[in-house]
Amino acid sequence: MAALLGISAKLTNRISTAWLNFAVLFLILLPLVIGVGLIVKSLPLLEEAPIGTMLSSSDWSPQQGHFGFFAFIMGSVWVTLLSFVLSAPVCLLAAIYLTEYSPGWLTQTMYFVIDVLAGIPSVVYGVWGVLVVVPLLADYVAPALGLSTTGYCLLSGGIVLAIMAVPYMLNMLMEVLRSVPIELKEASLSLGATYWETIKWIVLRKGLTGIIAALSLGISKALGETIAVLMVVGNVAKVPSSVFDAAYPLPALIANNYGDMMSVPLYDSALMFAALILFVIILLFNSITNFFLYRIKEV
Amino acid sequence: MRTKSLLSLLLIGSFAAGLVSCGSKKGKNVTISGAFALYPLGVKWTEQYKTKTPDLRFDVSAGGAGKGLTDVLAGAADIAMFSRQLTPAEKEKGIWVFAVAKDAVLPTFSLNNPAAGLIRKKGLTKDQLKEIYLSGKNNITWGALLDTAYNSPVVVYTRSDAAGAADTWADYFGGKQENIKGTGIYGDPGLAEAVGKDANGVGFNNVAYVYDVTTSKKRPGIDVIPIDQNDNRQIDPGEDFYENADSILQAISDGRYPSPPARDLYFITKGKPTDPAIIGFLKWVLTDGQQYVKQAGYVPLTDEVIKAQLDKLN
Repeated sequence: MAALLGISAKLTNRISTAWLNFAVLFLILLPLVIGVGLIVKSLPLLEEAPIGTMLSSSDWSPQQGHFGFFAFIMGSVWVTLLSFVLSAPVCLLAAIYLTEYSPGWLTQTMYFVIDVLAGIPSVVYGVWGVLVVVPLLADYVAPALGLSTTGYCLLSGGIVLAIMAVPYMLNMLMEVLRSVPIELKEASLSLGATYWETIKWIVLRKGLTGIIAALSLGISKALGETIAVLMVVGNVAKVPSSVFDAAYPLPALIANNYGDMMSVPLYDSALMFAALILFVIILLFNSITNFFLYRIKEV
Repeated sequence: MRTKSLLSLLLIGSFAAGLVSCGSKKGKNVTISGAFALYPLGVKWTEQYKTKTPDLRFDVSAGGAGKGLTDVLAGAADIAMFSRQLTPAEKEKGIWVFAVAKDAVLPTFSLNNPAAGLIRKKGLTKDQLKEIYLSGKNNITWGALLDTAYNSPVVVYTRSDAAGAADTWADYFGGKQENIKGTGIYGDPGLAEAVGKDANGVGFNNVAYVYDVTTSKKRPGIDVIPIDQNDNRQIDPGEDFYENADSILQAISDGRYPSPPARDLYFITKGKPTDPAIIGFLKWVLTDGQQYVKQAGYVPLTDEVIKAQLDKLN
């Protein structure tokens, strides 16, 4: 094409380099642009109410001018932690089994299952949660423990999120464990270590940074997931006191109200502020994991 | 190589030609955007109106009441569909509001409720309903409400997504959607489903969702809590109009069912409409268009209201 249009190779080269630089620059600037945009849109609210009170109060009645985000922040944190606690150990153990012990056909089947799980739209997970998880908790689990719940609660959200995070975490964990050089394992085994000791001291240690990265990917996924959680979590703007209480995560707040309330200036601004809080949480979380990864690599 | 470039030239050329021909097509485009509650009716109206005015094209989309109003103010849409009360900040923006149909929100309970017969016979008073939906207490028992021995506490479900239905139901007690304290469920169908499953559940739904408009019967799983309007702790014949869709629509239309929770649904334009195509459409909706309102499960406006809306257009 280039030859046809009479453009010299040198110029083509220069143009493609410029394009590459532009693409990278664009990607680096993207989070910055999003952050600045959210801050600008939150300004009307920030002028109205002190930021400290908004973050620490859980009184949410925007039409009366009370903007407390604490319940939503706690909702997001708890539902994410719960999903992490439920999914991370299962994923790690499954990844070890699938890479170190299982027959080849099983591993291949699992890759297929992971692809299918990852491809299911999140709204389908939400519907499944409403049809299966919610009645299961309301009719069997909670009564067995002597409690009563509507089933639309923190635990439902945690379970649905945990299942949604599995394909991402498991896939990455399997890649990490597979990338540990076979020579290292052979050396360990030849020194008399058992197979399990080799996994524990060689494979897991060598793959530590990758494992942390995989688990943090799962957490990021859980933090940002919206529709599936929103359908099962109960959406009550109160700090949950048990896993059978309803919770209200930040993404659900935005999705529930944005379309209907964007024409009310202060309400619109409050939802943008909720997005900003979420953005900052994700930023902080990623900075912390990156810091740890950096420290581990140094050692 | 040469054929390839020729081909691509041809492709670009035909694409450009397509664009030009698209733009020069005759006819005006009317964009309508807004509340989900009005969307089915909006589609019905535009379909019918198009058969009369073939050179007019309509683009109806639902994205929430606020989205519709924002689109209209930004000039991205000609008409907004609106299903909740306007806030003071929204009223200030120089908009023209036309009532186009009426709808009502009904309180619901589960058919699994052991006290179902008593609920239908006694109903609940406005004060009791206010206590149930707005107080946030979770120890209000059916026994205390209905003076019976069934002592399970009432469980309140509400809409999690900002919705005209929830806002209108809260408005019955002088509140807003955010004042209803209960487990938040996404969407009309989800709410009906959750209430139906929980023997002690109460919620609320639009008329068009509580009753199946084609059969006029109530949907399975839920029933309507009759409102005891004169506080005599029984549902008198004058308060009993929940049998089927026709009886409730009649009661809403003649005012026996209180308003709110009956509500007007609106079309909103930016400033007074000047485009003859849009004026024509609005006039048609308020006159001939009203015959389609009932089919869609809403209540047609009274002649008085229609006249007031038409006066705004002249």
